[in-house]
Amino acid sequence: MIRFEHVSKRYSAHHDALVELNFELGAGEMAFITGHSGAGKSTLLKLVALLERPTRGKVVVNGHDHGKLRRGRIPQARRGIGMVFQDHRLLMDRSVFDNVALPLLIAGTSREETAKRVRASLDKVGLLGREAEPPVNLSTGEQQRVGIARAIVVKPPVLIADEPTGNLDPQLSAEIMALFGEFQQVGTTVLIASHDLPLVKRMGKRVLVLDHGKLIDDFKPTSRPA
Amino acid sequence: MNRRVVSKTEVVADAKPPKKSRLSLRAWREQHLYSFFSSLGRLSARPWATTLTLAVLSLALAFPLLFWLLLDNARGLSGTVEDARSISVFLKVGTDMPAVNAMAEKLRHHPDVTSVVVKSPEQGLEEFRAHSGFADALNVLHYNPLPALLIVDPRAASAGDVDPAPALVEEFGRDPAVDQVQYDAQWKQRLNAILQLAQRGAAVLAVLLGLAALLVIGNTVRLDIQGRADEIAVMQLLGADNGFVRRPFLYIGFWYGALAGVLSLILIGFVEWALAAPLTALASSYDHRFGVHGLSIAQMGIVFVASAVLGWLGAWIAASRHIALGQPT
Repeated sequence: MIRFEHVSKRYSAHHDALVELNFELGAGEMAFITGHSGAGKSTLLKLVALLERPTRGKVVVNGHDHGKLRRGRIPQARRGIGMVFQDHRLLMDRSVFDNVALPLLIAGTSREETAKRVRASLDKVGLLGREAEPPVNLSTGEQQRVGIARAIVVKPPVLIADEPTGNLDPQLSAEIMALFGEFQQVGTTVLIASHDLPLVKRMGKRVLVLDHGKLIDDFKPTSRPA
Repeated sequence: MNRRVVSKTEVVADAKPPKKSRLSLRAWREQHLYSFFSSLGRLSARPWATTLTLAVLSLALAFPLLFWLLLDNARGLSGTVEDARSISVFLKVGTDMPAVNAMAEKLRHHPDVTSVVVKSPEQGLEEFRAHSGFADALNVLHYNPLPALLIVDPRAASAGDVDPAPALVEEFGRDPAVDQVQYDAQWKQRLNAILQLAQRGAAVLAVLLGLAALLVIGNTVRLDIQGRADEIAVMQLLGADNGFVRRPFLYIGFWYGALAGVLSLILIGFVEWALAAPLTALASSYDHRFGVHGLSIAQMGIVFVASAVLGWLGAWIAASRHIALGQPT
């Protein structure tokens, strides 16, 4: 689902964000990327999300080779990748419903189908009944859940998250992570950048460790948790 | 490794990737409806700014239209001075009638003259009394201040021939008995030239002000795009293509143009209404020899459509310049 082959990303002559990255994430696999800040976690996610293109090597997501994808095909490719951000990036002047419905509107889903899917998505993150409210009425944790509902509403094969628990207390963080675990169980490939090591360890999933743009460790859990 | 194989079967069962490459007609219609209404919502969310922009736009549209309307009416007026080819020769006051008649007779034999009509000072006075409304004032005068008048019709210039009228005008002017020569066609020619110049001016003005309207809309949309940079970035992250991001802004341009068009028509209607009464009075004093007209329904339609197109275009220019960021090169 996500494959990196000899991937390097160079921003300037003195700044190699990623160096010779090789790894593959199968369909339905869940993995964390950790490392100190500046290790290249965000750059890696940007390459997956098609916000950046690799300087060298090959990034393949959902069967799209990101290095070769034409500009006009990028939006289409992004629709297959759900994205969750640390600051959730909701549109504050619109209701929770409209925020979650946005990817469906972009994809051209019919209105009835949209209503059904938005409710299902909000139900999954435990916010059913809050559709009409503006995001400001919600707590930080709830806003992050709306962000997650928005990311999964199109049922993307790949879900990526950049420090999704960065602004949350441990209790809420654990809940959010458990939510991601549920999506993995229905077959979504999940890749999460996080520096919350204790939490990452508790999840018992595969962990990619980055240091100065290099992949220095790739822990795989010995047994797959249910 | 076998874990990967297991999960692959799951993905086939559960997570269906959206595989539409082309949007259906229904989806297209729904997205346009959404943009149509959301753009209206954006405009009404800032009523003051919207009103101000609309005021500027409608003035920019109304000015050239009013100018053009004025010229169109003036053109009608000059048309009613029907092909006045005759030359009026005013003789010096005090020239006695036998001399006048002799001169008329002489002119009748001129090769470039087809007919001569003599108006004695007495006839002139009668006409003046009847038409000018100065009858009472004239009664006060103890003498007739009007000169004798010869109305000379010059020979019509045939094709490829020089119009003899200007030469005649000059020739008559040299005669010592003649006080003044008036040639209406010359006056009309000048008026036409002036009108043509003014019409060209109106066209230039219309182009310039149309350009100003385009810039105003373009700039408004540009500011709107900048103010919504975050929103645009989020939409692009969620897979919106440039068309989807651009569409609400194009509709905003359309609304600006269309509403400004309606406003400028209302403005013109108001000017017409304000000028109608004095113009009718003026026209009646000229025996209704000219009429005043406003814009026809068809012309109003053209104004509306043109301004809406102008708005759309301005927004399109701004949007294509300022969106399309947020994509990797």
